[in-house]
Amino acid sequence: MQSKLSDIELIEQTLAGNQSAYADLIKRHQRFVFTLAMRFAKGREDAEEIAQDCFVKAYRSLSSFQGQSKFSTWLYSIVYTTAMTFLRKKRIATDSIDDEQTYIQVEHHESGYDTDNVENKSRSFYLNQAIEQLLPDDATIITLFYKGEQSLDEIAQTLGIEANTVKVKLFRARQRLKEKLERNLKQEVKELI
Amino acid sequence: MNAIEEKLWNYIDGTCAPAEQEAIARLIEHDELYAKKYQELLALNQEFATMELDEPPMAFTYNVMETIRTENALQPLKAAIDKRIIKGIAIFFTLTIVALLVMAFSSIDISGVKLNITMPAGIKLPNASGILSSSFTKWFLIFDLVLVLFLTDAYLRRRKATKHV
Repeated sequence: MQSKLSDIELIEQTLAGNQSAYADLIKRHQRFVFTLAMRFAKGREDAEEIAQDCFVKAYRSLSSFQGQSKFSTWLYSIVYTTAMTFLRKKRIATDSIDDEQTYIQVEHHESGYDTDNVENKSRSFYLNQAIEQLLPDDATIITLFYKGEQSLDEIAQTLGIEANTVKVKLFRARQRLKEKLERNLKQEVKELI
Repeated sequence: MNAIEEKLWNYIDGTCAPAEQEAIARLIEHDELYAKKYQELLALNQEFATMELDEPPMAFTYNVMETIRTENALQPLKAAIDKRIIKGIAIFFTLTIVALLVMAFSSIDISGVKLNITMPAGIKLPNASGILSSSFTKWFLIFDLVLVLFLTDAYLRRRKATKHV
């Protein structure tokens, strides 16, 4: 069962030496942090490593958290920088146009599997599949906006960019997601026929 | 089409100015293309919001807490001790030494001591004004100046490099 205390109260307790308060904070945010990590890592093991690293880093610098922004915004900015470092280490370019080609190849490769259960697949399955095919930056913005309860300003703070840039990036990410969603659905229909 | 979609997304997100918001609402009401696109994007928006979050492994919290506990256990004593305690001890010893010195100096009576220093016959003190005006001093000062400029440049370069990192 999750704690009813606010993030700030849990942080204060953690700083006072109560480690179980930090465990409660982890339980509260782990699903979202893990999902964000998945947007970059594209594999559960790597995502777990990133997410774990984030919570350890956040614990180490918890005393520097000023409380001027939401804890989640602060935490997501740690996730973003950790994931970017992880990608750099793995030598995966995140936002070059060349990579789009790689993802297109991947999505074509993946779209042919599991055709027997197509009828059972829900719209959310296709949505998650389309999100997985997006570039990490696009997937992150979409996730932060729809699931992170983050405003454009907060997303800007997390990603370290201007709010207007976030607005433009969000628009483009939605367009790409829409296209991929439509393409995947068409593909499935073709395979069914 | 992109411009219409951009406007409609801003309308849905509520990120446009009130006047623009009203104008778009009127367009949706009267223009069929806008109305159709608006319904489409609204449905898409609702669908995006149904996105599912990934579930981390069962032992995720435990693993993080274990890592933190291990790190804390491996932490060197210097980092584990509160810095305020170290500062407190330092202040205590400094004050004690200062108090002892003050007491020692105040108990010494130097009124009866006469200083009579005479230099041995063989030793001659150099002429200070001679040294200061010599070319050696000038070169020494120029060298110092160059050295200061070099060290300042090296320091500024290091600081700039650190900022970039």
